[in-house]
Amino acid sequence: MVTIDTAASKRRPRPHAHTRGYKVFRVVNVTVLILVMITMLYPFLMIVAQSFSSDTAIRSGHVSIFPVGFNLTTYRLVMGDATFWTDYRNTVVYTAVATLIAIVLTTCYAYVISKKHLRGRGVMIGIAVFTMFFNGGLIPNYILITSIGFRNTIWAIVLPNAISVFNLLVMKSFFENLPLELMEAAQIDGLNTYGILWYIVLPLSKAVLATMVLFYAVSFWNSWFSAFLYMDKSELFPVTVYLRNLIAGASSASSSGAGATDVAQVSANIQSVTMVLTVLPILCIYPFVQRYFVSGVMLGSVKG
Amino acid sequence: MESIKMFTTRRGFLLTTAGSAVAITLSACSGTQSGGGSSAEGLQNTSGAMTSFKAGDPFMATQALNVSMLFSDAPTYPNKSDWLLWSEITKRTNITINTTLVPASDYGQKRSLLIGAGSAPTIIAKTYPGSETAYVSSGAILAVSDYLDLMPNLSEKISKWSLSSNIDSLRQADGKFYLLPGVHQDPWQDYTIAIRTDVLAQLGLKSPTSWAEFRTFLEKIKASHPASYPFSDRFNVTYPGGNVLGIASVGYGTKAGWAYSNFTWDPSKKTFVSTPKMDEYKALVEYFRGLVGDGLMDPESFTQTDDAAIQKFVTGKSFAISTNAQTVANDYTKGLTTNFPTATVDKMQFPSGPAGALLDPITKLENGLMINASIVKSPNFVATMQFIDWLWYSDDGQEFTKWGVKGTTFTKDASGKRMLDPGITFISMNPGAPKHLQKDFGFSGGNFAYGGTTELLQSTFSPAEIAFQKSIADYKLIDLAPPAPLNEAELEQATLMATALNDAVSQGTVQFILGRRAMSDWSQFMSELDAKGATKYVDLVNGARARYLKEHP
Repeated sequence: MVTIDTAASKRRPRPHAHTRGYKVFRVVNVTVLILVMITMLYPFLMIVAQSFSSDTAIRSGHVSIFPVGFNLTTYRLVMGDATFWTDYRNTVVYTAVATLIAIVLTTCYAYVISKKHLRGRGVMIGIAVFTMFFNGGLIPNYILITSIGFRNTIWAIVLPNAISVFNLLVMKSFFENLPLELMEAAQIDGLNTYGILWYIVLPLSKAVLATMVLFYAVSFWNSWFSAFLYMDKSELFPVTVYLRNLIAGASSASSSGAGATDVAQVSANIQSVTMVLTVLPILCIYPFVQRYFVSGVMLGSVKG
Repeated sequence: MESIKMFTTRRGFLLTTAGSAVAITLSACSGTQSGGGSSAEGLQNTSGAMTSFKAGDPFMATQALNVSMLFSDAPTYPNKSDWLLWSEITKRTNITINTTLVPASDYGQKRSLLIGAGSAPTIIAKTYPGSETAYVSSGAILAVSDYLDLMPNLSEKISKWSLSSNIDSLRQADGKFYLLPGVHQDPWQDYTIAIRTDVLAQLGLKSPTSWAEFRTFLEKIKASHPASYPFSDRFNVTYPGGNVLGIASVGYGTKAGWAYSNFTWDPSKKTFVSTPKMDEYKALVEYFRGLVGDGLMDPESFTQTDDAAIQKFVTGKSFAISTNAQTVANDYTKGLTTNFPTATVDKMQFPSGPAGALLDPITKLENGLMINASIVKSPNFVATMQFIDWLWYSDDGQEFTKWGVKGTTFTKDASGKRMLDPGITFISMNPGAPKHLQKDFGFSGGNFAYGGTTELLQSTFSPAEIAFQKSIADYKLIDLAPPAPLNEAELEQATLMATALNDAVSQGTVQFILGRRAMSDWSQFMSELDAKGATKYVDLVNGARARYLKEHP
């Protein structure tokens, strides 16, 4: 499709390419997008600049997007904190395991409910959709997780959030759009249901799988609430909880009259360094896979 | 403050609501208002307890015990299992504390969840007075007032330091109290205004001691720096102008900002009155309206972030800002001296107001702890209460949790002055030393070390801070409000009214201060507050007071 489009565009100039209105549109469009980009980029650059600046310069308001009073001391200090690395490792493990489980369960569920001839399909979809609107509530969930012995284990984080209904419906829609004839042919050639899924459907679904992996991985990387609820030991926390405690704890304690012994004075410099270190892996991967985010949402949205 | 903070996030609100819902449900099912049962319950559970335990005695359990504790994990000194604090507690008391760690940032939420789910540890630390009310009706929290006999050190401090009326303010509808607060020997004040003392000297002025003198100080600065707003303030979290309105309201004889309450005790009338309807409240608003109107106070003071206000101060755009002892050193002095090497900044004496030089005696109570009611059924109940009494309320326990182990982390000379070991640093002591009292040993942490004698409190203060505390030593104390606990139905009604009422008061107050509403609108504003239940709220509290008096003459 892309090749044909390109060839066609070479042969036939776009009808509005040289009109005055189109040029004005392009200028306005580019200007607005540049402004949006600056708005998005500025806070990020400021955080990076602060992470390399001295605390005094930050407090004095001298730091914008370039470091002032360049120093790497805080990087050395934070990277020397064993808890930070323990929590960082936890985040990597939780994200990897949770994403793997989530992708397996979501794929299986979505494949099943994409079969229109399946008896009880409506109920299975209904059960999934029901959980989008209603849930047991925090305290019942906490009691459930505790009573089945998941508290202070990785399972408390990875299992309750294993299936995102939104992702499930996207996948279901994608599977529904695969040509039925392919599966029938595979069935005639002797493949059973699992064989069809493994040898035919999954190889054709790499795009949606990549998207789902990305969706799940980013969501698990950023999540902190489950760990906060179900983990009671700092060596089990993900780095997001560490970071949240560092930032939210510091600002609330110093702003609300907390006891003098508990006033956490975390410098803006340390906050910035921690943020940069936490966001770094996602930042390295994101540019290479971000196109899936756009295409992923569109997947399965158009029938025919 | 903590209870207000709890509602600043949607999750926090949901958690608290869920916690309250469970508490109410449990209470409805049990059909009682128990808070740990009658005073006799649990007293026979003496396993591990000392047979004779008096105030000042060391505590040592007669058998090794474990006690669970909800622990607020501070980001600046995260918990370490090998802290000397933990091993020394076990060595001295034969009791091992098993912690459930909760990040300090969301401590209140997790506490609500654990209590609501019935999974709370025995000791629930870091609870501010008032926060316990939501859990009382569930019966999940121990009515500690029933067991003061097991706590000789606390009992002694209540009587020696005249804390009865402070403790009375914690009493609930059943006349009992459920929170073991941190207790101070004397009231103290941390928050005030920080001012540029170098500019003060240049202008030949004395440091202001009252709100009227503070205005004169700002006027003189405005005259010499006409383009500036001399006072640009911070601390707007949870309440616009939270700190400055709060500290000013003491001297004005009312309640505002962080100290705001919909009702204030009027000792002359022996009744509660609606706070925003007090003449004193109006006078307070007019004072700040005058500052803003005359260009002496930055109108952004009520909305800007802390960082924005700090930047204005350290870059010389403003000359006064709210502060506590720590922010003077950490937020202002460093940045200011970078920009202006000769600049100096210090705390201003806590300003007196039209009502006089006053302090709120409520500062004698500090955050404290709740105890899980199920502990009464434990064979170790009495030992646990003795342990809590020794660690949190005995002089030895308080010195230990603040300074550590004598001969190891600190030394004490003949005059009683403590010196930190040269290899250990804390606040401004021994800068550059390789070890840190909080980070490496766990002492002076927020879960244990608070309250105590004034001598102990001030033992880690800087000379400037001690001078500040001395300057307010002869201030008079305002009358504490007597107990007027609401019952469950009233509490629900009050909570419903409070949300709308508090919003209306804070928004209206700022509108009048910023000049967006004319003072001629004030009576209209009062009518608006009445429509939101201002008078009804006070009637509810006065009704509760009358009932309390009748039931507990």
